[in-house]
Amino acid sequence: MSRNDANRAAAAWSRRDILRVGSLSFFGLDLSRYLRLQHLMADTGSAPRGKAQAAILLWLNGGPSHVDTWDPKRNSSFKPIATNVPGIRISELLPRVARHMDKLSLIRSMHTLENNHGIAHHYAMTGHRPNPAMKFPSLGSIISKELGARLSVPPYVMVPDGNWFGEHFRAHMLGASYDPMEIPDPSAKNFKIPDLRLPDSISVERLQQRRAMAGLVDALYREQMHSAEHASLDVFQQQALEMILSPAVREAFDLSKETEQLKDAYGRNTVGQSALIARRLVEAGSRFVTVVDRNRPESGDWDSHANNDKRHRDVLVPVLDQVLSTLLADLEQRGLLSSTIVIAMGEFGRTPDINPNGGRDHWPQCWSLALGGGGIRGGTIVGESDERGAYVKDRMVTIGDLFATLYKALGIDWHREYMHPIGRPLKIANSLDDKTGQPIQELV
Amino acid sequence: MAACLRAEVPKELLDSFSGSGMVTMRVVLLLLTAMLGSRVCFAEQPAPPRPASFAREIVSILTKQGCNSSSCHGGVKGRGGLKLSLDGLDPREDYKWIVQGGTYQVLSPEALPPITPRVSLQEPENSLLLRKPAMQVVHGGGEIFTPESPDYAAILEWVRGGAAYGEDVQKTLQGIEPSSREIVLGPGHTHSLRVVARFAGGRREDVTREVRYESLDSTVATVEPSGVLKALQKGETAVILRWLGQFAHVRIGVTDQEPASDAELPRNNFIDDHVFARLRRFRIRPSELSSDHEFVRRVCLDLAGTLPPPDRVREFLASKDPKKREKVVEALLNSPEYVEFWSLRFADLFRVRGEYGWILPFWEWVRRNVATDKPYHQVAREAIAVQGYGGASHKYQFGINKPPPIEQMVNETIRVFMGRRLDCAQCHNHPFDRWTQNQYWGLGAFFGRMTNTGWAFDNAVFDDPNGHEVDYVENDPTLRFRPVAHPRTKQPLAAMFMDGTALPEDRRDDPRLALANWVVSHPYFAEAAVNRIWGYFFGRGIVDPVDDFRVVNPPTHPELLAALARDFEQHGYSLKQLMRRIVNSRAYQLSSQTHELNRHDRTNYSHALPRPLEAAVLLDAISQVTGVPEVFDKNPAGKRAIQLRFPAGASFLSVFGRPARDAVPDPGGQLNLRQAMHMLAGTTFNAKLSNEAGRLHRLLQSGASDRQLVEEFYLAALSRFPTEREWAGLQKIFAERPRREAAEDLVWALITAREFAENH
Repeated sequence: MSRNDANRAAAAWSRRDILRVGSLSFFGLDLSRYLRLQHLMADTGSAPRGKAQAAILLWLNGGPSHVDTWDPKRNSSFKPIATNVPGIRISELLPRVARHMDKLSLIRSMHTLENNHGIAHHYAMTGHRPNPAMKFPSLGSIISKELGARLSVPPYVMVPDGNWFGEHFRAHMLGASYDPMEIPDPSAKNFKIPDLRLPDSISVERLQQRRAMAGLVDALYREQMHSAEHASLDVFQQQALEMILSPAVREAFDLSKETEQLKDAYGRNTVGQSALIARRLVEAGSRFVTVVDRNRPESGDWDSHANNDKRHRDVLVPVLDQVLSTLLADLEQRGLLSSTIVIAMGEFGRTPDINPNGGRDHWPQCWSLALGGGGIRGGTIVGESDERGAYVKDRMVTIGDLFATLYKALGIDWHREYMHPIGRPLKIANSLDDKTGQPIQELV
Repeated sequence: MAACLRAEVPKELLDSFSGSGMVTMRVVLLLLTAMLGSRVCFAEQPAPPRPASFAREIVSILTKQGCNSSSCHGGVKGRGGLKLSLDGLDPREDYKWIVQGGTYQVLSPEALPPITPRVSLQEPENSLLLRKPAMQVVHGGGEIFTPESPDYAAILEWVRGGAAYGEDVQKTLQGIEPSSREIVLGPGHTHSLRVVARFAGGRREDVTREVRYESLDSTVATVEPSGVLKALQKGETAVILRWLGQFAHVRIGVTDQEPASDAELPRNNFIDDHVFARLRRFRIRPSELSSDHEFVRRVCLDLAGTLPPPDRVREFLASKDPKKREKVVEALLNSPEYVEFWSLRFADLFRVRGEYGWILPFWEWVRRNVATDKPYHQVAREAIAVQGYGGASHKYQFGINKPPPIEQMVNETIRVFMGRRLDCAQCHNHPFDRWTQNQYWGLGAFFGRMTNTGWAFDNAVFDDPNGHEVDYVENDPTLRFRPVAHPRTKQPLAAMFMDGTALPEDRRDDPRLALANWVVSHPYFAEAAVNRIWGYFFGRGIVDPVDDFRVVNPPTHPELLAALARDFEQHGYSLKQLMRRIVNSRAYQLSSQTHELNRHDRTNYSHALPRPLEAAVLLDAISQVTGVPEVFDKNPAGKRAIQLRFPAGASFLSVFGRPARDAVPDPGGQLNLRQAMHMLAGTTFNAKLSNEAGRLHRLLQSGASDRQLVEEFYLAALSRFPTEREWAGLQKIFAERPRREAAEDLVWALITAREFAENH
């Protein structure tokens, strides 16, 4: 149990006893004020070790074409434009991001191993190729576990949902507590988080009466069948109660607290509102929020095997351009950029050559991604691709290196290995040839 | 137990008897010494001097000293460049690495330089093989022995003698046997183990001092290198014996109980014979027989995944029929819920997943197997050898138009049907069990020609003479088929059974059928099958985890396992019959209530172990208690969770850990925060309580008294009546609070209780 959990458990027992006594005004407080005080006074878990405290991942499902976005080449129909960093040019499809290039860096020499969806998701999120003998924990789960939760807010959230590929974003051997909490599309009209709000007919006091009844009904069995599992349920119920009752948590998910202008700035669509809620969550204490970009109207996701140019120009990139630039500005404005890493990536890039359907197919050999914030240097280009964006020309970067860079910024030791229950050690920053990845020195 | 006396039977005398004459004379000797009232070990005189052989003397030292253990040079990559085979399984390889030198690489058979021999014939004392373990040069493993020790002398002698490979002792070595397979002793007591090696031709040799001993739990008992066992504190463990690639184990029980003087316990069948005999030997007293209400709830959940309705419980409790338990078992085995529940479990095991259209034939095959009680060896054969469309062919669906990778098929087939986890051996020899990479890929070759064709819902799997279809490579169809190669040696694979025999030429047209026939007739098949089923009913396999049979994970009851396997084979591999045997045994029917003397026993079946209900069963139970069915996405109303073909359509199921069927299911069901949140605030635990169609509303309207209401819900949820103490507490609450609220809270309390969510 982390120190934070232990503290909370200790606090929880005493609070529970107080409530059992039946006198909420024991301290002369009512319950909600008491909880609010707790929230304000609560420590933030383990002391911050790195500059970054959290990360937001814009997951561009399907794999964006790198030559049409971050790494403009002659074999793209689109022209490069200047950015607010001299010497750096990106695709003309990203004019707004171009004005924030000082906050963002580009890796143009990503090299990964899998070229089909699913397995490529797995590889991008765990650093390991799928293995039938074992399931690997994802980047978000590892970060949530290593840093621990803050202020009762779920540490790992995924919005809108993981769909068919969600299993690659999970914790597996690390335990279900580090699985992402999937929340629905915040741009939808009846947006509400399941399980986070008591039914209208149940007050807090009623809930306590229920729990007292449960104590009575289960007493005999618990007495006879001592088990650690039973005790852990009590702890989880207490944590759940805190989460449900905590105004901070409820507010973190409440977009009505944001101005209409800001909601417009992000864009009134799934990706935009999801990114806005991600910012709120990070502000409230989440550690890793994944915004899933996979369900664009009329276009599905970034997997443009046909009509690549039209899809990128008209549908896919403009939303990314708007969301990413707004997110960076918003984080900076609130003083959160230095403690929040932002990453925009998919599971691979796309082929340098256009196929007979006017599309581009999967291409893991050399592709690009963008990252910044959280102490990661912005306005830097790492690595170089050849003249067509087909192969790495200089300074290859692996998934292990990417992970090591993120871990270093977050204050996590990237050399760590977990012991999988089947008895095999696994690296948290797994690079090629069974080596540990190295943080990118140009960035962190 | 007294150490056995060593009679000095001269080796020459024994050797002079050959063939059947030898057996007779040995028997005469045994009878003679038995009449003399002493116990004889067929220990020979120390063998006369003979040249040291690498495979015997040196490998023996390397094993005993732990040099070739998985944490040192026997590990996946070896250490410091030196790789030895784990536990001395491959002495020829070891000889090569020692005598020729070189640094080992995992993924290639090539040795990296420096290629310097680790023995020096010119200056034997300068051999690395001596200097390293004696810490005369830096050695990561520390000082293993001093230059004055007998091991040092033995190695030096061998090098001086030319470092010859010598006799290939592993060719004639058949096994090692401890003098006792099971030892029970008190804390602080000691016992001298004796180990004998058996060679071809009947020769036996005492190898007690050469064997490597490892206690699996050194807080319970420790073993000295001399074989002296010392018991420390109460508990149970096993000692693993290793010598020249052979393994054995001794089960150890440490207890301060007196041997039981109880009268013989009643027994229902052979399962009880084995279980109670062991309890007696280990001096553990079993709990009482379960009460009727414990039994009826447990057996309904275990056979049918369904809670007994209150009326059935009342009926069962009231019945005076002495055979009522057997009759309930038969009724359950023949119920539609039995078919649904076991179809669910086998669908999880065989991983029936995919879009609805695809999976229907697969799911129907699973269900038909259960409904007709198809002999399990036939099920296995069909699952492994299937060709074409339909039925089990969808087992081999992996993404669109691709069979699974060979590794996945080997892992899954062997794990599901033989209970062994070869998995790690795909990249290197298994790090802590005896499987080699060659064995692994020899089995892989049976799948080496699989491919499938057709489109999404209309998929046929078959063996293609071109070879195995590999990962879909964009725009390059020529790369799709290739013959399978061994990943390390890069040689094309030849199909080979686990024991090394090659698939005969005339069977190569249908390699998977040959594999299927071999699997089902192998002894591992029946024992893995009965062990898995046993695990469902007892919460723990005789080998646990149920598909993880390993040298260092021996069965707790080897004779019981063998007896179950034999019974299973004799009854035509009928799963129903196996289940019948299990649930009719007294061992299964013991209460889960413990007493002081057996509270800590978790491996001897002295009492029933509580186990969490599976997600689908739990959801159905909640629906049944509240009387409000769940409505599942894309399914007609009234469908229950255990009837669902595929885990979907209810967030409850994923929150409560229903297997996603992307891997062989592991026992899951660990509580977590999401579940706690759902219990407090989620719909399942709230909306069903006061629903107008539900049981509570009906009871409130019906004019039932408080007591009747409480009893009805207790029977529905826990299959019992409330105790007087519980009723007193509840009565008070009902008096103080509005009736409806108190009743709702009672139902909530019951469906979130551990007593409800566990099978006990």
